[in-house]
Amino acid sequence: MQTILTFVARVDPAKLASLERFLEKIQNFKPPGQHPDLPLANLKKLHFGSLVIFKDPAAKYDPYLVFENNFDGQLDEHLDALLEHGAAGLHQIYDHCFDYGATGPQDRAAIAAFLRAHVVRPHAYHIGNAGRSVERIQQEAELLDEIERFLDSTPRHGFENTSPVSLRAKVQQFAEDNPALAWAGHTQSRLTFAERFVPWVKLISVGLIALLALPLLLPFLIIYVVVLRRLEKKDRTDIPPPGDEQVQQLAGSEDHVVQNHMASLCYVKPGKFRRATLRAVLWLANLVARVSYHGKLSGLDSLHFAHWVLIDHGRRLLFLTNYDGSWENYLDDFVDKASLGLTGIWSNTMDFPRTRFLVCGGARDATRFKAIARQTQAYTNVWYSAYPNLTVKAIDNNSAVREELFGSLDEEATRRWLWRF
Amino acid sequence: MKLQRTDIQGVIFSAYSHLPCAAYLLLHIEDAAAARRWVTGIAGEITTAESKQENFSINLGLTYCGLARLGLNQATLKSFPIAFREGPASANRSRILGDTNESAPSSWDWGRDPDSIHLLLLVYGANENALDAELKKRKAELMRSSGLTVVRDLSAGRQPDNKEHFGFADGIGQPVIEGNERHERKQFNRTHHATVVKAGEFILGYINEYGIPTLGPIVHAADDPAGVLPAYKVPDDLRFSGQSADKDLRDLGLNGSYLVFRQLAQNVADFWQFLDASTRDQKNQSDPAAREWLGAKFVGRWPSGAPLVLSPDQDKPGYENENNFGFAETDRQGFGCPVGSHIRRCNPRDSRGDDPKESLRAVRRHRLMRRGRSYGERIGNKLVADNAERGLHFICINADIERQFEFVQQTWINNTVFGGLSGETDPLAGNQDPGACTGMMTVPGDPLRSRISNLRSFVTVRGGAYFFLPGIRGLRYLGSLLSSP
Repeated sequence: MQTILTFVARVDPAKLASLERFLEKIQNFKPPGQHPDLPLANLKKLHFGSLVIFKDPAAKYDPYLVFENNFDGQLDEHLDALLEHGAAGLHQIYDHCFDYGATGPQDRAAIAAFLRAHVVRPHAYHIGNAGRSVERIQQEAELLDEIERFLDSTPRHGFENTSPVSLRAKVQQFAEDNPALAWAGHTQSRLTFAERFVPWVKLISVGLIALLALPLLLPFLIIYVVVLRRLEKKDRTDIPPPGDEQVQQLAGSEDHVVQNHMASLCYVKPGKFRRATLRAVLWLANLVARVSYHGKLSGLDSLHFAHWVLIDHGRRLLFLTNYDGSWENYLDDFVDKASLGLTGIWSNTMDFPRTRFLVCGGARDATRFKAIARQTQAYTNVWYSAYPNLTVKAIDNNSAVREELFGSLDEEATRRWLWRF
Repeated sequence: MKLQRTDIQGVIFSAYSHLPCAAYLLLHIEDAAAARRWVTGIAGEITTAESKQENFSINLGLTYCGLARLGLNQATLKSFPIAFREGPASANRSRILGDTNESAPSSWDWGRDPDSIHLLLLVYGANENALDAELKKRKAELMRSSGLTVVRDLSAGRQPDNKEHFGFADGIGQPVIEGNERHERKQFNRTHHATVVKAGEFILGYINEYGIPTLGPIVHAADDPAGVLPAYKVPDDLRFSGQSADKDLRDLGLNGSYLVFRQLAQNVADFWQFLDASTRDQKNQSDPAAREWLGAKFVGRWPSGAPLVLSPDQDKPGYENENNFGFAETDRQGFGCPVGSHIRRCNPRDSRGDDPKESLRAVRRHRLMRRGRSYGERIGNKLVADNAERGLHFICINADIERQFEFVQQTWINNTVFGGLSGETDPLAGNQDPGACTGMMTVPGDPLRSRISNLRSFVTVRGGAYFFLPGIRGLRYLGSLLSSP
């Protein structure tokens, strides 16, 4: 079980610069994630964590500090770990925020109370490697490395006339002989039956209910579409070319490892109609995401953790994602594979390229879509990944190697298993 | 929109294969007014997509600094995309391109300082004499107070065949610009395949693979008092803000494109020595067949050009120019053509993701029109280093440097997790920087892969720049600029 949530706090504008400096110290600390005040690497159940300051260009809102947490288990346990390792850092950070009352790092109850009061849970989220804990992901990566090294240690001509079955037996033998890999023999299922089954029941029921209620809903649907089209024709699409300094700052922090982080905050278009539409779309997206537990969301196989949440009474949409590959590739993938879903969500936010029927057009205007994506993106002040060089696909491959290491496989399955190396 | 061929530079449409000799002059502007006069003069002589010349061709590109030197104002300069404005020697672009270690701009022969290169004059000739005559004429012209100096004369010389220095046939598969039926027929007859791509992928102002026009730089009408440039006709809905239709704008980009130039030195002996050492038999003797086999695995084609997908075990006569193949159906695992091989990284065809059709559609948004040529003499014995400088003047044309050239370089060639791999880059053209990758190459096999280790970078970047290739009217406009801002 994984939990995705953020702590969203308002930063005192007078203390903004000081907060930025402190976060920069944490981010630049080497080795990464081990700054003594906030050693996120010590949180053994934390997959990804980030701290992002969102400054409102329209100055309607105070700057926000969003602390993203993607972790194994439940909030209580996570809070304990956070306070145990990072009370000093948390106190220094939140001392820059409004409504914070702790007297010092030792005042853990007050820090915890503050964090609890500022928890924001997502309206929609996706997990690329569902059901795998940090520990399991790291162990299985090590297993793969060990086996690869074992296979390399045999001379090039050594395996030429070995059958797939006896090759696998050699690998099994190697794993059994290695006490450090003893855990590999205990198979763990990724998701429980209920975790796999219930989301499908929900999705199908919703589909059936919608189908049955269609005759009743139809008149409302027609009115909805008419209103939507009228709004879409008038929507403002005011997209300036991307600003150099912003792009340079954002791009400069990207592509240092295999994964990247993206944080964005958009204004939702004015009016209840758009706010309600966006809530409905996110609700639907979440239903779909819950059954997308095989590593892909709408064809995208590069998302580790992604989530959407409406804040400020539905007036702003926060999006946080930890993904594989370059920003350019990520956005292209979004446009190529998930244009409908992407447009369905962001067409309800300000200045998105012009859409038709909520999901058409929009992101297809790729140049301007990327421009607005950069403009709404914020610089990630602190970012931590527990496994920065593993892709979603690699993690899945490693799991499959482990799950099929022992147990019976027929000849064909054995060959396919060997292709995983 | 119909292609305005008489306004489009010829190199976008043609590789000038009938002109086997070439030279590239990198020019520096000393005197803007004189340089503008020279640009105006040469604009009428530029080879266009319509005016095929039997004996020679000339084309002209400008860097961002070159445009600024000629006197283009800030507002117009800012309407160029950031990749072009920054140029390949900037820190951001270097990281994207993977130009580190020996390939880092700090050790380049030219292009390190973006303001040192302003113009690129591409000169092609039917033979050495034709090229020399044309070069002599152009250089004399430049000498006569044109306000320009030749920073470098990068001769590509004559191409004896279509092989690059490592010894593999090159330039077999090229995209075809939609609306260019003659080229499509030619490409199809030669390679049994033609990928037709929307004109907007290679020419600014035309519809691209997203179904919208590719945006180019714009000029305010007040800055074009003579009315040299055409009106900016991109629909209001697709414009950036501040460029709405009620403002009188002119299109500087229309019929233009971008040209990426990179001088890539090839260490041929090192490449073949590495292959040799990696394929020694059990008695530690050279195995020429295995050596060539591994080289083919690196490339994805045999030296003749025959693709490994169609002929996995040996080179196959008659398949030299064959390009009618995919990976998804025939070779998904890469047992023939390795997933990490050069041709699969540069053009993954139908193998990006699980859906072949969707992959083909997505890949079309990242195609390059390659126009490069080898330089330097062929090596005598490919296993013996001779210290001679040789390589490829890599040139490609694209309408969006970030989405095309840089994407291919970053997301495919130097991507350590390309296609499910881990820690590997392109074995032929990739940067094997130990700080960024493991220096390995997986050669998939059934039942088991083998891994080649301790790869070195066989290609080093020696220089590079991004050039804007304006349409003919665009060139005339640049020549007509009044004074430096």
